[in-house]
Amino acid sequence: MDTKTEVLVIGGGSTGCGIARDLAMRGVAVTLVERGTLTDGTTGRMHGLLHSGGRYAVSDQESAAECITENRILREIAHHCVEPTGGLFVSKPGDSEEYFERKLSGCAACDIPTERLSGEQARAVEPYLAHDVERAIRVPDAAIDPFRLCVANAAAAREHGARIETHAEVTDLLLDGDRVVGVELAHENDTGQSVPTERIEAEHVVNATGAWAGQIGAMAGVDIAVRPSKGAMTVMNCRQVDTVINRCRPKGDADIIVPHETACILGTTDVEVDDPDDVPESQWEVESMIETLSELVPILDGARTLRSFWGVRPLYEPPETKTSDPTDITRQFFLLDHADRDGLAGLTSIVGGKLTTYRLMAERISDHICERLGVDAVCRTADVALPGSDNPMRLEDAMASFDLRSPIARRSIQRLGSRSSSVLSIDEPNPVICSCEAVTRAEVEDALSEVGTDLNAVRIRTRASMGNCQGCFCAHRMAALLHPDHTVETVRSSLDALYEERWRGQRHALWGEQLSQAMLTRFLHATTMNRAHSQTASSESIAFERFDGGDDRGD
Amino acid sequence: MSDTDDTSSFDPVTVFEPTEQDLRSGSDDCYKCSTCDSVCPVAAVDSSFPGPKFQGPEQWRLTRKEDTEIDDSIMGCSNCMRCDGACPSSVPLSQMHNTARGAYVEQQRFASDAVAALRSGAFRRAASIVRDGVADFRERIRNRLLANYYTAGRFASKLPRVANAATNFGPTRWLLERVLGITSERSFPSFATQTFREWWADRGGSHVENPDKRVAYFHGCYANYNTPAVGKAMVRVFESFEYEVLVPQQRCSGTPMFANGRLDDAKRHAETNVESLAEAIADGAAVIASCTSCSMALREEYPELFDIDDIDAVSEHTYESLEYLRHNEDLDAVLSESSGDAEEYVYHAPCHARNQGLERQAVELFSSVDGVTIEDVGDSCSGISGTYGWKTEKYDNSMAIGDPMFTEMEAAAGEQGMTECPTCAMQMSHGTGYSITHPLELLADILTDDPSASSDR
Ligand SMILES: Cc1cc2nc3c(=O)[nH]c(=O)nc-3n(C[C@H](O)[C@H](O)[C@H](O)COP(=O)(O)OP(=O)(O)OC[C@H]3O[C@@H](n4cnc5c(N)ncnc54)[C@H](O)[C@@H]3O)c2cc1C
Ligand code: SF4
Ligand code: SF4
Repeated sequence: MDTKTEVLVIGGGSTGCGIARDLAMRGVAVTLVERGTLTDGTTGRMHGLLHSGGRYAVSDQESAAECITENRILREIAHHCVEPTGGLFVSKPGDSEEYFERKLSGCAACDIPTERLSGEQARAVEPYLAHDVERAIRVPDAAIDPFRLCVANAAAAREHGARIETHAEVTDLLLDGDRVVGVELAHENDTGQSVPTERIEAEHVVNATGAWAGQIGAMAGVDIAVRPSKGAMTVMNCRQVDTVINRCRPKGDADIIVPHETACILGTTDVEVDDPDDVPESQWEVESMIETLSELVPILDGARTLRSFWGVRPLYEPPETKTSDPTDITRQFFLLDHADRDGLAGLTSIVGGKLTTYRLMAERISDHICERLGVDAVCRTADVALPGSDNPMRLEDAMASFDLRSPIARRSIQRLGSRSSSVLSIDEPNPVICSCEAVTRAEVEDALSEVGTDLNAVRIRTRASMGNCQGCFCAHRMAALLHPDHTVETVRSSLDALYEERWRGQRHALWGEQLSQAMLTRFLHATTMNRAHSQTASSESIAFERFDGGDDRGD
Repeated sequence: MSDTDDTSSFDPVTVFEPTEQDLRSGSDDCYKCSTCDSVCPVAAVDSSFPGPKFQGPEQWRLTRKEDTEIDDSIMGCSNCMRCDGACPSSVPLSQMHNTARGAYVEQQRFASDAVAALRSGAFRRAASIVRDGVADFRERIRNRLLANYYTAGRFASKLPRVANAATNFGPTRWLLERVLGITSERSFPSFATQTFREWWADRGGSHVENPDKRVAYFHGCYANYNTPAVGKAMVRVFESFEYEVLVPQQRCSGTPMFANGRLDDAKRHAETNVESLAEAIADGAAVIASCTSCSMALREEYPELFDIDDIDAVSEHTYESLEYLRHNEDLDAVLSESSGDAEEYVYHAPCHARNQGLERQAVELFSSVDGVTIEDVGDSCSGISGTYGWKTEKYDNSMAIGDPMFTEMEAAAGEQGMTECPTCAMQMSHGTGYSITHPLELLADILTDDPSASSDR
């Protein structure tokens, strides 16, 4: 199968989705391909902090200034993805006072609004802050949902005519002399098998594969020295804080707590790795992170952890720099024009950067590509709201109209933004499918209508199965919605894939309550649901009618 | 969220005062097994009630600081605390419900919000606050009245006969039902012509002096105003074991206030109680209660909800009266030697007794007494849960919850009911017409055969 497009974007992370939207809005024909679901890469494994820039205000003021500008833009165009929590940089005894002052003046220089708080004032904002926190700076940090953000960008791109292909891996770049002219793709079907490849011809190919950019480069024989650096994060069961908490010191591991939806995410570390697909994960990283952050918020010690995950930063530095410590590598992004750099036309790579500035990165690269393609159109991504953030609905109105209990309505509307009405106004009953995260059937069905049978894609859109039971009580309910439209095999393999993914994240935070939870899950699924020795896994069909009359051994 | 130039626009709205309890971390212990839902008597009969798991850990976990609203279903919970006792993972369900209910009622106090809105010129908002408020008004007044039984009791017992006639007088009941939503299906408990405290004063207080064995009696409202016979029986029993009984100053335990979300009323009463009971404890007394909800309040709900000096000491030294005797005296030995009037009892264990692990004590105690038979009617909830069953809109649920208990009572051999809880007693007699005794009364009859005492009843 052969198809054509103007620009082909590889990578469905924030960068790739942002580029697809930007180009599509300029009228360019775009195809985006992603080997997994959207956000399968680093974007789905990041900390969720919409930087105010405060973090870089001393070390890298250019980044800091970009952050605050983009922070302001995203609050406008993506407000259903952003929770304006505010943030605090807090100092403990021994943390440099001089650095604290430099942070304040650095913020001022970058136009980042700040407020100086005493320890007491800081604790009035966040009661669980340690008693010895001496002072704090309040900054406009926020929490951002990377899943929703990418999905909204992809949806906007699609509205403007883009084609979005997930579960489609680029296996090769097509070359015509010293020019890239397209890609070869391997699609995957519902049950995870590969199906015949597709060749897509493109006038220009954008390599937005982040930490994997080197692999794509290698397909065309160019060297892109990405230095992948892993970071660990741990999700706590509930929100110990409602504000982003940063430790105010020059640099260090484990110094940020981000309240995210119903949870808090602790992070992070910075360790260089060789292969972004093979990241060593170990429990001590989690334990030491909890220990360090308990210095700021003591009740974290002993609190329930849900899971932990590791992301890989797509750090890049120009070949001549040779920084030894990954924390010193710049967080700036780089646009690599392979025509100029390597004499290979038709391919541009984008590496480095951060999620907060994804829109700006997309704007720069789109400008560049439009120039190459001779397209004369201006960027409008900063002025037009993303789907879901247009026409905000008043929460109170919405709560009344959907007949949902108030916390369920609140969380649903926060996730769906301006799509709330169209998704939740249904005539049928609308039971809650995932009670930990308050996700109703209507929302799950809406997500299914977009993604087919991929329950992990439903998860990232809705948060279903992301709460404290980690899928124990809801994963099968989600899967049940696939039937009878899909075959039993498809339903099973979708369910298995969701379980697999839920289990993966729990492995390294498995003690205390989450261990009980995992055991309960195991027994419910292995025994009650008979998934351990499943007769149903064999070809024999179950005699359901034998259950119809109930138990006849007495009453 | 637009104007990022001004830091004030990033201000998180501080709803909870920092000192106030934030129970989100209580959800850490919940692994969603639904055991609590399966034992909730309200959820069993009312499909619109979402159940304790939602009310407690789920709702708290979903809460953010800026959320002021609490789902109105919290008022559907009867505060029976069965969920709290059933949870295998010690989730503080009862504390979560009580706190949420308190916040819900607090948020219903619309008047001050409306005035604030008017002042700031938001007329339409003020009007809508008032509109919503009036709809709830009746319910709030009614709940307030029911919660403050202590005050009602105090007035009624000034003129008990008039009160008895008036409260059960047809037109009064019609008005109460129509205007306030207090069901006319039930007859009000009658007020004693002499309160327990009046009797105690007349009697000249304790007849025993014993610095080594002292108990401070928390009679609560009901034994004082309505069933002083229970209090008198308690005195007879304890004095027969040579205890010096103290009757300290006290107000309502708070149980009906918790159930109606009136936490600040409850706190005011608790302050008096804690202060005077702590004094008695300092004098070497243990606190005993004849009502299982009162003992529950003092030992569990107080420390969960309030921060008052000495509250932990009161909690640690409080017992239900029979429980205390069983711990400290060889009751079984005494009882196996004694005999009572031949009588068959049907016993119902109150939910709050269950929560304290006391559900078997009456049955265990009396089954060894010659002549007495006692049959447990099983573990269902009586359905009245204090003030719950008095509300017109809850009456049918209350009777549906009580139905298995009524059936069991009727199936049992005896026709004399027994329970520790005064409102369970109301429900038992309302459903079956049986008369209901408190275990202390039977115990007093068995242990002491002072004929003059029984005329106290
Ligand atoms: C631990 C950690 C914490 C972070 N925290 C923050 C934060 O708080 N705030 C912030 O602003 N930034 C943060 N970042 C940075 C931010 O997450 C990343 O910069 C950003 O998500 C990168 O997005 P991307 O689209 O460039 O890369 P990715 O999200 O990795 O996207 C690349 C995509 O390409 C796909 N792909 C790879 N190979 C192929 C192929 N052959 N064919 C098809 N598709 C392919 C991958 O599956 C992947 O989905 C953090 C990063 C890490 C590691
Ligand atoms: S019984 Fe306890 S652990 Fe189980 S669902 Fe209820 S609150 Fe959670
Ligand atoms: S206290 Fe009783 S009525 Fe209320 S939720 Fe718990 S079990 Fe149900």
